[in-house]
This record gives sequence, structure tokens and C-alpha cells, in this order.
Amino acid sequence: MEEQEHDTPHRPAQSRRALLPAFAIAAVATAGGIVLGLVIPWFPPQADSQAQSIDTLYYVLIVVTVPVFVLVETVVLYAVYKFRMRPGEELLDGPPIHGNTRLEIIWTAAPSAIIAALVVYAAVVLRHIEHKPRGEVQVQVYAQQFTWSFGYPPATPGGKTVVASDLYLVKDRPVRFRVHTSDVLHGFWIPAFRLQIDAVPGAAESFRATPTRLGTYDIVCTELCGLGHSVMRSTVHVVTPAAYSAFMSTRGAASTLPAAAGATQVAAMGKQVFTSTGGCGACHTLAAAGTTGTIGPSLDKYLKGKPEAFIRTSIVDPNAFVEKGYGANIMPASFSTSLSKDELNAVVKYVATVTAK
Amino acid sequence: MVARLRAPGLLRGGWFFAMGIGFAYALTTLIRYVSHYHPFVHGDSVLRVGMVSGPMFFLVGLGAFDYWFYWASGRKTRPEDHSSHGARSWKDYFRVNTDHKVIGIQYTVHSFIYLLIGGLFAMLVRAELAQPGAKFVDANTYNGLFSVHASLLIFLFVIPVFAGLANFVLPLMIGAPDMAFPRLNALSFWLLPIAGLMMLASFFAPGGSFASGWTAYAPLSTSAPIGQDFFTIGVQFAGASSIATALNFLVTIITMRAPGMSFFRLPLLVWANFSTSLLVVIATPFIAASQFFVLLDRSLGFNFFEAGKGGDVLMYQHVFWFYSHPAVYIMMLPGFGIISEILAVKSRKPIFGYRMMAFSLLAIVALGFTVWAHHMFTAGVQTWIRVPMMITTSIIAVPTGIKIFSWLATLWRGVIHLDTPMLFALGFLTMFTLGGISGVMLAMVPFDLHVSKTYFIVAHIHYVLFGGSLFTIFAGVYYWFPKMTGRMFDERLGKIHFWTTFVGFNVTFGPMHLIGLQGMPRRVADYATQFATWNLIISLASFVIGLSTLVFVYNMVTSWRGGPRAAANPWRALTLEWQVSSPPPIFNFDALPTVVGGPYEYGVPGAVHGVFRGAEVKTSSAGSGVAIPAGE
Amino acid sequence: MEAAGLAPEIHSHDDHGDHHGPPAANRSSRVEPQLLGMLLFIISEIMIFGAFFTAYFFIRVVQGDPWPAPGTSIPVLVAGFNTCILLSSSATLHWAETSIKAGNRFGLKAGILSTLLLGITFLFVQINEYVHLGFAPKDSAQGTIFYGLTGLHGAHVFVGLTLLSMVTVRSFKGHFSPEEHRGVEVPGIYWHFVDVMWIVVYFAVYIL
Ligand code: HEA
Ligand code: HEA
Ligand code: HEC
Ligand code: CUA
Ligand SMILES: [Cu+2]
Repeated sequence: MEEQEHDTPHRPAQSRRALLPAFAIAAVATAGGIVLGLVIPWFPPQADSQAQSIDTLYYVLIVVTVPVFVLVETVVLYAVYKFRMRPGEELLDGPPIHGNTRLEIIWTAAPSAIIAALVVYAAVVLRHIEHKPRGEVQVQVYAQQFTWSFGYPPATPGGKTVVASDLYLVKDRPVRFRVHTSDVLHGFWIPAFRLQIDAVPGAAESFRATPTRLGTYDIVCTELCGLGHSVMRSTVHVVTPAAYSAFMSTRGAASTLPAAAGATQVAAMGKQVFTSTGGCGACHTLAAAGTTGTIGPSLDKYLKGKPEAFIRTSIVDPNAFVEKGYGANIMPASFSTSLSKDELNAVVKYVATVTAK
Repeated sequence: MVARLRAPGLLRGGWFFAMGIGFAYALTTLIRYVSHYHPFVHGDSVLRVGMVSGPMFFLVGLGAFDYWFYWASGRKTRPEDHSSHGARSWKDYFRVNTDHKVIGIQYTVHSFIYLLIGGLFAMLVRAELAQPGAKFVDANTYNGLFSVHASLLIFLFVIPVFAGLANFVLPLMIGAPDMAFPRLNALSFWLLPIAGLMMLASFFAPGGSFASGWTAYAPLSTSAPIGQDFFTIGVQFAGASSIATALNFLVTIITMRAPGMSFFRLPLLVWANFSTSLLVVIATPFIAASQFFVLLDRSLGFNFFEAGKGGDVLMYQHVFWFYSHPAVYIMMLPGFGIISEILAVKSRKPIFGYRMMAFSLLAIVALGFTVWAHHMFTAGVQTWIRVPMMITTSIIAVPTGIKIFSWLATLWRGVIHLDTPMLFALGFLTMFTLGGISGVMLAMVPFDLHVSKTYFIVAHIHYVLFGGSLFTIFAGVYYWFPKMTGRMFDERLGKIHFWTTFVGFNVTFGPMHLIGLQGMPRRVADYATQFATWNLIISLASFVIGLSTLVFVYNMVTSWRGGPRAAANPWRALTLEWQVSSPPPIFNFDALPTVVGGPYEYGVPGAVHGVFRGAEVKTSSAGSGVAIPAGE
Repeated sequence: MEAAGLAPEIHSHDDHGDHHGPPAANRSSRVEPQLLGMLLFIISEIMIFGAFFTAYFFIRVVQGDPWPAPGTSIPVLVAGFNTCILLSSSATLHWAETSIKAGNRFGLKAGILSTLLLGITFLFVQINEYVHLGFAPKDSAQGTIFYGLTGLHGAHVFVGLTLLSMVTVRSFKGHFSPEEHRGVEVPGIYWHFVDVMWIVVYFAVYIL
């Protein structure tokens, strides 16, 4: 209590000009910060029309918020430099300023204005990117632990939905994804499109995109979905209409075989399941199928000399035998139901044949 | 021996715990026998029931309920002999103690142990992520590591450590002899080790620890192995503890302020804890309920989240975030309070705009309940809900901005003492602003559509929780260390701690913004090789934070044991806790102080916050209990 | 929390060693700590119910499935009868409270005992209803939330009964007086809250 009894000594009052250098530093730092914020390569390639709006929004956010951050930073550093206690000032006190209504109004109003502007702008962007364009196609996205597959509208009206494990989109053709899951939550994210949505059990969530750039881009699962979450990836191919038709004609194959199917037909279907419908190639390396996945064991290496029955069990019930060095519960246990009977037989036969030698 | 076994304490707690497990075994087996379930003995059921009954029996054994049993059984309540109050040896910290100062230290030390454990898990996470590919732990362990990391740091560190610091200083600050309900206070503490040990024990559960993140989204959590229950039930204990403490704070603040301590003379730390406690009392029941739902789905086959039977998966997220968004303010507002104390004292100036500081806290509390769906922009919620939530979320920047700018104005023209508590306070100011700004960016729905669930979020989390909460915690611990222990800490080590932490922190979490934007999702054990370089840098920097924390621990332990004795008021502060000895006397005050002015009148000639009538009474022990404070 | 914290007794102390008591706390509010504590606790309780009602809202309104689940029925009448039981228990409790304030010990004992018995009857009828309902929580989400809400309420009745039984024991041992009846009042508030909550649950689950 003692200290407060006697009058507290003060520093001599500072002139207002003390503020000038602070302003100068802040201005320079702001300019630098904004330039830095604009030149850093923040984003992956822009591959749809939505990406453009979203990136612009981000750069606007940078331009608006860097000054706020720099302001705080400058005041702190400047105050520390200018007003720090110097030897001999141990018992000094600052001037007893309790507030300043004008300042307080300013720093309530200014952020409010900034926020209001940003919110309106963001709402406009949101409307824009979710606007329904003409000529939109629907692609179904099926998520399951831990693979993706995709359902395309039939090539001919009245035909069957085509299901494949690759995502092919036509450049400049707007698409609406309908995302489904057969087990837990997953997140369907295409970083190059800047969009994601969760796959929710019992619901079909969706978002729209219009691919604008040819190429292949990552599909990433963003919602923690279990052991294989980090490897639940796939690829989207943005292609020309011609390439798309070619894809549809090869992948649009039926999931049943005629009773009298020959060995080549079975092998073709097996390969098709392996590289496409079943998505095995995403996780397994198999030279014959040209896949190089590394999440599961290389089938070339581990299946040498293994009987067909072992392969079948490994697919139908992956946990029955877990290869050393690989985790259980990563390979989907659902192939016995998600593949048709013929497909399952075919892929077992195919894998057995190509790994036998 | 028998006497020791029967006396309340850890020993009795131990064998009561065993009895609790036995009870669970008997109960579940009996129920299953009666209802013809096979097999009668079902391990998971015993475990689940045991996770509730074991701890409850333990608490009984510990003596947490002795007084209440005594009361409930209808005997005359014995006159309080204060035998459970205060600490005379270190052993008194290991029993049910009703002294808010002892409880404050129990809380704080206990929480810091969990900072070390949770931080150690973060080190393992970073070790795994240092290089792409599964290098170090398998996917299951990895998911467990970050889930337990976050759960421990949130529920066993940040939330309780604030409660602990406030427990120690708040009654002193308002001139109260103790908290309103001292026994409830003791119980609140003892619920925490239960929650913490339970979460840690999950690593020994068959199938591994809980591994669905600290958010435990259904249906991943409802279909997970038994380890998930250690989270589901552990959180209930932590939640009960926070609710009980919050009740206690509210009642204490409302009914036990010293004469003259009007609401607008309260130190801002008290205001901050008042606001936080409101949040806790209103919001925490929601996480309790969300985990009840999960537990019921898991153990009794309920269908809250079973889409096939009409359950609603998104409902989990609504209920969870209706707590967990307010929870992020539960983890920040007390820190705001600490910063207000330190900035005023260390710049030797009154807090700029005291009233707006108090009102902005209340504004954050109110707004905090209206924004939960900003965690669900990409979750598939009704699309119309997003824009309203974007608006409310970004509005929170306004009251928070008022606080930031008022602190800056407090600094301006002060006499700034740049010691360790102040360094951490200033570090907080700058780093939290960055984290808050990335929060406002996340609030912008279209942007969030890209970065939600990426490392950009991980960066935001750590800028607000580490750069925000943890920096304020460090500041507060350094600031009140002399008061709590009666010793001074080593200033040089403190400065080393600050600078290594500050640099390590920015190098660790800064680049996460970038890799998140570029496409690295969160919660992955393995990632695309394009992110390898950044992740290596991040991991190396995170080890620097780890080492810097060891400096802190060393400083605290050695200073507590052998640091120079602290004066009663080494910072020349005005608030009441500094007007009593360091550490404070066992009953805080011999006679209550009378408050006659604001708490931050630095630089005002002759300013006084509280006066102690009859300082001469201070030394005498007799009669002080009946000293009537002025005003009655 | 139950009225133990700041009972005036704790300030009367025997003066030996350093076991002298703390200075009496200043009363900075007219509200009693125990009462305030209970009210705040009830806010928490309301929020717990709020969360269960949120689940109810999502299952019944957002999912939009028929209520109750097809092929099941909910016994509105039995529960209505039960509602009356619970409401009358509030009345008897009120009787007990006014009696002790007027110094009428018989009224206290009779009131509190009948409250206790009525509460037990309620719980018994509820359990009996569960047994005869014909659907289980695992059958459908509707069943889940039906049992969820009524079960949560039942758990609160159980807690309330535990508190009341303590009060009963103490009443019969001769505690409480016109000046000192907080031990009846505070658990009493809880019991009234449990009753009011039942009306809300009853309307939401049975009537609507
Ligand atoms: C201490 C904890 C804390 C705090 C204080 C905050 C504060 C804020 N948070 Fe954060 N948040 C978390 C902890 C916290 N958050 C966590 C843990 C998660 C992830 C959970 C998980 O999924 O695991 C999260 C996630 C999260 C999301 C969800 C992202 C997603 O999953 O997709 C969002 C989105 O809106 C968000 C926004 C905000 C905002 C707007 C604030 C605001 O309160 C910030 C306000 C502060 C400022 C803005 C700075 C100071 C103000 C000024 C200097 C004034 C001027 C400023 C402007 C004009 C911009 N947070
Ligand atoms: C207060 C909260 C808090 C704090 C302090 C921290 C601190 C740290 N966090 Fe954490 N973190 C979260 C809260 C916090 N975190 C949350 C909420 C999540 C989200 C989880 C989820 O997705 O569910 C998360 C997730 C998270 C991730 C993302 C995981 C993923 O998504 O895959 C990462 C990755 O780098 C990370 C790293 C770190 C690091 C390096 C630290 C460092 O600061 C740690 C510093 C180290 C120490 C303090 C310990 C030092 C001590 C020793 C080294 C020795 C100890 C010895 C013994 C005890 C014997 N955290
Ligand atoms: C998400 C990743 C993933 C997908 C998709 C996947 N697998 Fe696997 N697979 C694994 C992992 C991991 C293992 C090793 C652990 C185990 O046996 O469960 C494995 C094991 C196997 C084995 C046993 C190999 C051995 O050495 O034990 C066979 C055979 C196999 N997979 C075939 C297939 C076929 C055929 C498909 C497609 C129909 C497929 N896998 C799809 C991840 C995957
Ligand atoms: Cu699917 Cu993560
Ligand atoms: Cu939030």
C-alpha cells in the first residue's frame, strides 16, 4: 500500500510528433506485408471457375487484414522501443489516462465497417460459386472406407449409370457432385477446385464446379474416417470431350458376364475391376495392370505362389491374414458386397493368373 | 494399519476404487444374468460401468463426500474445525483440501503435468510427420496420438489451468476468505486426475486409444473400439469439474465481494472469469449430452446417429459445437483477464477503457452462442444457415478488437517493464491477433470451403490456443509465481524461455497456413511428398518448442525450491492479492479489506484500491474471525 | 453444494493452534449463496435437457419421420395420470415448506413424506410403462429419443428423490425450524424444477 501514498512521479509529456515515425514504419511494413502476401504462391493450380473467385477473395482478405496485423505489431514494437522503462525510472508511473471516447468509437466502428464489407463480399462470392449453370451434369461420388468411386450419367439416355473408380470430367462442362457414403463421414475435397463437402451417412451432399483447365488433380479425403484416412486419395482427370467419350466406352462395361464368357473376357474384366471399378490399383502395385500403389503390399512381390483361395479370402475378408508391416482394417472389407459375383471371380482369377509366374 | 485404511485419503481411495470395479462387475453380471444375455460376464460392460463406479467410489474413499454424507445422514453438522484447510506439508496437496490456494496450486501443477504429456504426444506426432510415409507409428497410433494430444491439452490443461490460477487469485482479488463452496471446490479438482488418467489409460485398451479426434464425430466414434469410451466418459468427469468450478466462481463473485467492491471496481480478471463461468454453466451440458448420446449408441444400441434407423448424424456436430465453440472462448477469456492485469501493472497505467473491456467480454459471451455452425460450413448443413453464421462469427472480431486496441492504448506512453510476464503478454497480443485474423478468414464461407480441415485450421488452432491461451498462461504463471510460492523465478531463464518459444512457435505453426492452402489435409499420418520440406522444418522447429518448455519447467522447479524470497508486492500492483504476504496467510485476510477505488489507478496521485482496517490485527491470530468489516 | 458451504456454523470455532477461522465473508448480494448455486445448477440442467430436445428436434422434425415410429404407440393416458402424480407431489412439497416456515413440524414431516412417496410412485409407473411399451431404444430413432428424454427425466427424478430422502431423514430427526429451513428449500427448488421439466417433456413426447 505504501507506494500509492505519495505522489507518483511522471515522465515529461511527449509531443504528438512521437506518432509520426510510428505511422511511417507502419505504412512501410503494411506495404511490405501486402506485397509479400500477394507474391507467395499460396495455392495449387486453379482448375475450375470457382477457384478464381475464391483466390481473389483470399487476396482481398490479405489486403484488408495485413494492415490490421501490422498496425497491432507496430504499436507494440514502437511502444516497447519508445516507452520501455529505462534505468532510473523504476518508480515512475505512466500518465493516468482512463480512456478516450472518440478513439473507442473509432476502433469499434472501423472494424465493424471492414467486417460488414467483407461479409457482403463473401456472401456475393458464395452465391456466385454456387449458382446453377446451364448444361450441368450430375456425378455421383461414393465414399467408403477408404476408397472413392464415381457414378456417371449413362452415355445414352435410358442407359445404366456407369460406375468407375476414376473421376473424369470434361473441361468447361459444369458438374454437380452428389456425395454419398456407405459407412462413416468422409470429406470430398479437390484442392485445385478449392471446394470440399462432407459425405454424410443418410444424406447426399453436393457442390458445383466448372473445370476450366486440362490436367490431373488430387482428390483428398478431409474428414477423419479411420485408419486409412490419410491414404484415401484419388485423382480427377479434366479432359477433352473426345477423351471423355473414350473413357466412357472403356469403363462403361457391364458388371456381369455372359455365362459362356471366355478366359480373355474374364481377364479383361478382372483387370478392369483391378484398375478401375474396385480401385485396387490405388493401394497395390501390380505390374501387369500397370498400377503402382504403395499403401497395401505389392501384389507382384507378396502373392508369388499363393493359391487362388488365399487371394479370394484376402479380398473378401482382408483381416483374415494381415501382411506383416501393413495395418489391419485399411483394405476395405466391403468388396464381397460392392463387387458383383462375376467381378469378384474375375478379379481373383486375374490377380492369381498374373502373379502366378 | 486399519486406521490408515479407514482414514480418508489416497489409500482408502485406492481400495474403494477396487470396490467400485467389483461393484461394476457384480452389477453388470447380475443384470445380464437376469435378462438372459450371454455371456453373463461381459468385459466391455464391466469396463464401461467401472469407468463410472470406480472413480465415484474412489472419490468417496478419498473423502470428497465425507462431510456431505455426514450432513445427509441427518446428524448435526460438526462445527468446522478447518482441519481440511490449508497446507502444512507437501502431503496436504495429495488429499481433499478445502483451501482455495491449495486447490489453485493442485489445479495448476496438475494441469502443467498434462501440458508436458500432451506436448510430448505432439512431439511424437511431429516425429511421425517429419518425413512422408509411415515411418514411426502406425495409422491407429497416430490417430490416437493427436486425439489424445488435443483432448488432454484442451480438457486437462487449458481449461483447468485457468480455473486453477483463478482459484488461487480470484478470492484474494475480491477480498473473500475463500470460495463460496470450498468442498465443492475440492471435489472439482479431484475429478480432473480421474479424467486425465482415464484418457491416458485408453492407450492400454484393446484396439488402441480413442482415435477419432478431440471432436469424436459420430459415426466414427460410435463404431470405434472400446478405447473411445475412455474419451466419452473421461470428458464427463472433466465437464462436471468445469461446471462445478464455474458455479463456484459465479456464486463467489456475486455474493462474496469485499465491502466497496462494486462490479465496476472488480479487476478484469474477475470479470473475465465471471464471463467464462457463464459460458461454462450454459454450454458445458451440451458436450455432456453429446457424449451421452455416443455412449448410449455404443453401449445400449440407441440410434441417435444411426442414419438407417432415422438417427441424425449432423445432430452430433450441432450439439458438440454448441459447446465447443463457446469452449474456445472458455479457453481464451480468462487469458484476456490475465493480460489486462499484467499490462496495466507492467505499463504502470490504468487499463484503457475499463468499462468497454468488461462489456466486450459479455458481448463475446453472448455472441459466442450464435456462431457454432462455422465449424460445419463443409459438413453438409442446410445451406441457408451458413451466411447468418458467417455474419455472427465475424462480428466477434469487433469486441475482440476493442480489447486488443484498448490494450495497445494501455501500453501507449506507459513505463513498460519488459520482464518475462510482460514479454509473454506482448507475445500474446501479437500472436493472438494473427490467429484471430485467420479466424475471420475462416469465417468467410467460400474461403472456408477450401481450407476447412486442412493444416490452415491446424495453424489457426495453434495461433489462438498456443499463441493466445498458452502465452497468457505462461504470462500469468510468471506473474503470480511470487504470490503462489513466495519465491522469485529466474528472470534470465524466463527470457530464454520466451524467446525460444516465440521463435520456435512461429516457425512451427506459421508455415502450416501455407501447406494447408496448398492442399495438405489435417489428421493424416502420411502426406504427399510435395509437403516434405515444410514438414521437416516444422518438425524441427517443434522440437525447439519442446526444449524451451523444459527450460520453463527447470526454472519453475528450481525457483520454487530455492529461489530468492519474494516480497509481498514485487510488482507494485494495486489489486488486493498483492497486499497480503507472499504466499498469502492461511485465511487470506485477518480482516477483510474495504475497497475504495478502481483496481488500476496507476499514475493517479494518492490512488488507493483497498484499505485494510487495523493492520495491527494482522499478526494476532485470536479474534480476527469476528472482525467486522466496515460497512456492516 | 447442498447448503454445506457457508452454513453459519462454520464460523463458530474453537480457538486453538492456528485453527482460527477465516474472517466472515462479506455478503455482497442479498441472494443466498446456496440458493444462487442451485439456480445456476438448474440453468445447467435446463441446458442438458436443451441438448436432448435438440436431438429430439433433429430426429423428429429435421428427419421428418412419423411420430411415434410406425407400428408403435405411446400411452398418453397412463403418462397423463403420472403427470398428475408428479404435480401433486409439488403441491405436497409446497405444503411441507410453508409448514416449517410456520413452525408446523407435523406438516413438514407429512408433506415431505408424501412428496417422497408420490415421487417413488411416479418412477414406478414410469418403469412399468417402459416394460409394457413394446418398443425399445434400439428399434428406431424415435424410440431412442423417447427413452432418451423420459429416461433423462427419470434420472433427474431419481436424483431429486435422493435429495428428498435426505431431507426426510433430517425432518424426522427434528432438524429445521422456522428460522432455519434452507435445507428444505434448496432441494425443494430442484424438485419443482424436475416437475416443470416433466410437463415440457410430457408435451413434447406424448401430446404433440
Ligand atoms: C482459443 C481458442 C480460439 C479462439 C479465441 C478462436 C477465435 C476465433 N475463431 Fe477459431 N477455432 C479454434 C479455437 C479458437 N478460435 C479451434 C480449436 C478450432 C478448430 C476446431 C477443430 O476443428 O478441431 C477453430 C476453428 C475455427 C473455425 C472453423 C474452421 C473449420 O473447421 O473449417 C472458424 C470459422 O469461422 C473459426 C473462426 C474464429 C473466429 C472468427 C474467431 C474470433 O473470435 C477471433 C477474433 C479476433 C480477432 C479478429 C483479432 C483481433 C481483432 C482486431 C485486431 C480487430 C480488427 C480485425 C479485423 C477487422 C479482422 N475458428
Ligand atoms: C492448448 C492446446 C494445444 C497446444 C498447447 C498444442 C501444442 C502443440 N501442438 Fe497441437 N493441437 C491442438 C491443441 C494444442 N496443441 C488441437 C486442439 C489439435 C486438433 C486435434 C484434432 O485434430 O483432433 C491439435 C493438433 C495438432 C497437430 C495436427 C495433427 C493432425 O491433424 O494430424 C499438430 C501437428 O503438428 C500439432 C502439433 C503441436 C505441437 C508441435 C505443439 C507444441 O506446442 C508442443 C510443445 C511441447 C511441449 C509443451 C512438451 C515439452 C516437453 C517435453 C518434450 C518433455 C516432456 C517429458 C515428459 C512429460 C516425460 N497439434
Ligand atoms: C485402401 C487401400 C486398399 C485397397 C483399395 C485394396 N487393398 Fe488390398 N490390401 C491393402 C492392405 C493395407 C493390405 C495388407 C493388410 C491386409 O491384408 O489386410 C492388403 C492386402 C491385400 C491382399 C493380401 C496380400 C498379402 O500379401 O497378404 C490381397 C490379395 C489384396 N489386398 C488384393 C486387393 C484387391 C484385389 C483389391 C481390389 C478389389 C484391393 N486389394 C484393394 C490395402 C488395400
Ligand atoms: Cu475418408 Cu478420410
Ligand atoms: Cu468456433
